[in-house]
Amino acid sequence: MAANHSSHSEQPAKRHKHEGPRKHVVAYIFSLLLTLVAFATVIGGEINTSFIYILLLVMAALQVVIQMGFWMHMKDRGHLFPIVGIMTGVFVVFTIVIMAEYWTWW
Amino acid sequence: MSAHSHLDGELPHEPERATLEGRNKVLGFWLFLGGETVLFGTLFSIFLALRDQVGDGNPTGQELFKLGTVAIATFILLTSSLTSVFAIQAMHRNHVKAMQGWLIITVILGLGFLGLEIYEFYEYIHEGHRFSTSAFSSSFYTLVGFHGAHVLFGIVWISLLIFQVARKGLNVVTAPKVYVAGMYWHFIDVVWVFIFTVVYLMGKVG
Amino acid sequence: MAHAHPVKRYTGLMDWLTTVDHKKIGILYLIAGGFFFLIGGFEALLIRIQLWKPLNNFVSADTYNELLTMHGTTMIFLAAMPIIFALMNAIVPLQIGARDVAFPFVNALGFWTFLFGGLLLNVSWIAGAVPDAGWTSYLPLADPTYSPGKGVDFYVLGLQIAGIGTLVGGINFLVTIINMRAPGMSFMRMPMFTWSAFITSALILFAFPALTVGLVALMFDRLFSANFFNVSGGGNTVLWEHIFWIFGHPEVYILILPAFGIISEVISTFSRKRLFGYSSMVFATVLIGFLGFMVWAHHMFTVGLGPVANALFSIATMLIAVPTGIKIFNWIFTMWGGSIRFTAANLFAVGFVPTFVMGGVTGVMLAAAPADFQYHDSYFVVAHFHYVIVGGLVLGLFSGLHYWWPKIFGRMLSEGLGKLTFWTFYIGFHLTFFVQHFLGLLGMPRRVYTYLDGLGFNSMNLISTIGAFLMGIGTIIFIINIIVTAAKPKTASNDPWEDGRTLEWSIPSPAPEYNFLQTPLVRGYDALWKEKMDGNTGMSPAEPIGPIHMPSGSILPFIMSFGLFVAGFGFMYANNEWTGFVKEIFASHAVAGLGLGITLTCMIIRSLKDDHGFHIEPEELTKKEVKE
Repeated sequence: MAANHSSHSEQPAKRHKHEGPRKHVVAYIFSLLLTLVAFATVIGGEINTSFIYILLLVMAALQVVIQMGFWMHMKDRGHLFPIVGIMTGVFVVFTIVIMAEYWTWW
Repeated sequence: MSAHSHLDGELPHEPERATLEGRNKVLGFWLFLGGETVLFGTLFSIFLALRDQVGDGNPTGQELFKLGTVAIATFILLTSSLTSVFAIQAMHRNHVKAMQGWLIITVILGLGFLGLEIYEFYEYIHEGHRFSTSAFSSSFYTLVGFHGAHVLFGIVWISLLIFQVARKGLNVVTAPKVYVAGMYWHFIDVVWVFIFTVVYLMGKVG
Repeated sequence: MAHAHPVKRYTGLMDWLTTVDHKKIGILYLIAGGFFFLIGGFEALLIRIQLWKPLNNFVSADTYNELLTMHGTTMIFLAAMPIIFALMNAIVPLQIGARDVAFPFVNALGFWTFLFGGLLLNVSWIAGAVPDAGWTSYLPLADPTYSPGKGVDFYVLGLQIAGIGTLVGGINFLVTIINMRAPGMSFMRMPMFTWSAFITSALILFAFPALTVGLVALMFDRLFSANFFNVSGGGNTVLWEHIFWIFGHPEVYILILPAFGIISEVISTFSRKRLFGYSSMVFATVLIGFLGFMVWAHHMFTVGLGPVANALFSIATMLIAVPTGIKIFNWIFTMWGGSIRFTAANLFAVGFVPTFVMGGVTGVMLAAAPADFQYHDSYFVVAHFHYVIVGGLVLGLFSGLHYWWPKIFGRMLSEGLGKLTFWTFYIGFHLTFFVQHFLGLLGMPRRVYTYLDGLGFNSMNLISTIGAFLMGIGTIIFIINIIVTAAKPKTASNDPWEDGRTLEWSIPSPAPEYNFLQTPLVRGYDALWKEKMDGNTGMSPAEPIGPIHMPSGSILPFIMSFGLFVAGFGFMYANNEWTGFVKEIFASHAVAGLGLGITLTCMIIRSLKDDHGFHIEPEELTKKEVKE
């Protein structure tokens, strides 16, 4: 990792092609669709509540993948520490959510 | 360091990572977002623990929430996320004008979102859902309000950056700032995804 | 360099108010932390005077509650953590071969927010409204009904402001360690103290936001009539306990891990041996940090979470004994067969090991949930956590201070006085707290201002009080040592202990403001020791001598933190019993707004005004090196 100091700035600029907007528009449409599905299930109603909860959370998780993976470039190279940082935060949040759901009222 | 040699010359590829200062800033901000994850996670947990504590005669989430407003707000914020991506892309191409344009659109969308939220809160208060009504209302306003405050901070921040870039141009000092502000904006959007899912949609289901 | 910026340098007091040099900030942390340590220690002595005999009325029950609350809060947040930050600031950049920290400005901001938060908390003594709900501030005791004064508000806002400082400090060290290591300084070559600073900073990053939210909720309950913990409004008091300990338990490891790091360095240096089991030491540190997030409910066994939760948290807690045991054995094996020198620093380090084991053993006893129902809220718990915090952390800090004093100030502390400090403090410590185990087992409850005669508590409490005074004497001897040393000339060499193993001993004492004239090339673990073994006099440089870029000082961190201080007062006294104009400006939140305005304005100025810093030219550098 210490070699990192120089590796970034010395990349030849020519080799890299700037990505176009199309990929991001597709991601945007995809996230709109996910939102639409989430709202539709709730408005449509009449399904088992816990099933809806799971479905909603899956939709939300996919949205996060779009935002953080694509738009915040987390999927790109050199993002080891950002991933470790966010995932540790998520892990801590999991424990706190379990606390709130199971150990506050009984 | 290399910060100064780049100041006047051609902008390097990925200018936000061209200097050690820039790399520090981006990494530091990522870690800060890790901390923000715990901050919002704790707020969500409090909300989850208290969301059924409505009290007698007070409106429940099911009665209060209007999914139409929430859907519009979501649409606005998702779109602003896309425009901020375009801003960063323009930055990578060194198109300063385009970048500023996309940032301005992002700010306007952010203002629209904030306006909707204020209107929504105003409606709720009229229906008897005040901050101190119940544990549910306190945790609701704190969670959603914290997010709103983050949006407001983002709007002020990005506006200042637009002004700053207009004055100083795009260089290895300003580029990391814009990049980091973009990250912040996406993060706000991620938090909102969970707010509309956990607070509004799940609240509507009951 | 083409860009010769005019060098704006402050001197005297302004230099200290504006400094962004991590070494100077380290000294500031040390002074402020030491100051609060004395206040907290004084409070402890008053507590022990009150308890020296049954039915004593040296202080009233109310004052006693205030003393024990402020003692705990001050010692944890305002004494222990800042002194840890002092050592981290002074040493970590030197150990990784960095010229500076990643965010010098933010580093300064972290110090000043901590200081103003701490001052706000302690102004409560002057304002006559002292927090008295314990350092854990449990609900409903701390809610507006049962704590109607401003006392708990001082706790909430003081900690909130100090917490911001700690959080940004943590991020600064994480980025510094990840991004600024010298060439060759891979993660698995980092000294143990740097590793522990890294993990501690990570724990700060993920634990403090939970405290922030908890304090915000408590503040909203108290100032804006929210219902988070207000049972009649549907709130839940156990929720506070959970949030507090989700932060609070990692906080315990935030405190102890740096001590582990210090002990590893000191024992290795003074045994003239490589640290035994370095990689297992790293692994144990990471594991302790990780497990630290999954054991918080062991503070809440008697709440009634049910057998499943209690069993889970019981097992998780006992698991922590495994990595901790690894560390203990590694220290012992490091000493095994080494040529040990018992300097004052090493005495503290060696004394730490058995003391900490005792604290760990009572920890495992407390981790057994059924047994905990007996120990809970008794002096047994008090004895346990003082064994790990004083017998662990404070001994570690004393060790580190004696060890690194020459590197920080350029002067060696007196060894004789140092050893005297050790013996008085160490004996005093065990006298004070060892008997408290038995007081607890006999049933003496903690946090009660007095006790009846004839319960068998009398003689042990007297012993405990005598021990506390001995610890006080030890601390005074340490201060005398500091004063005596400060009067001596700066004569410490680069490597005053002669057995230095890590990079900080390869540069002058005290370190010049740019730390390393040339960034060193690291060729192995214990970088300097490796060069010594290969017959070299110092590190080989990784770069030629060139101009060194330095950040310029700034008064903004100071003003920014002062703004938060003003805002804290504004929010707290918005609801007041004064009259006239003063009442109005507070009641209209004008003061709070002004404070926040000051802070925001400083942030905007910082963002808009580029800091070009300045360069120290090669000629200037070589001249300095020759002189020193």
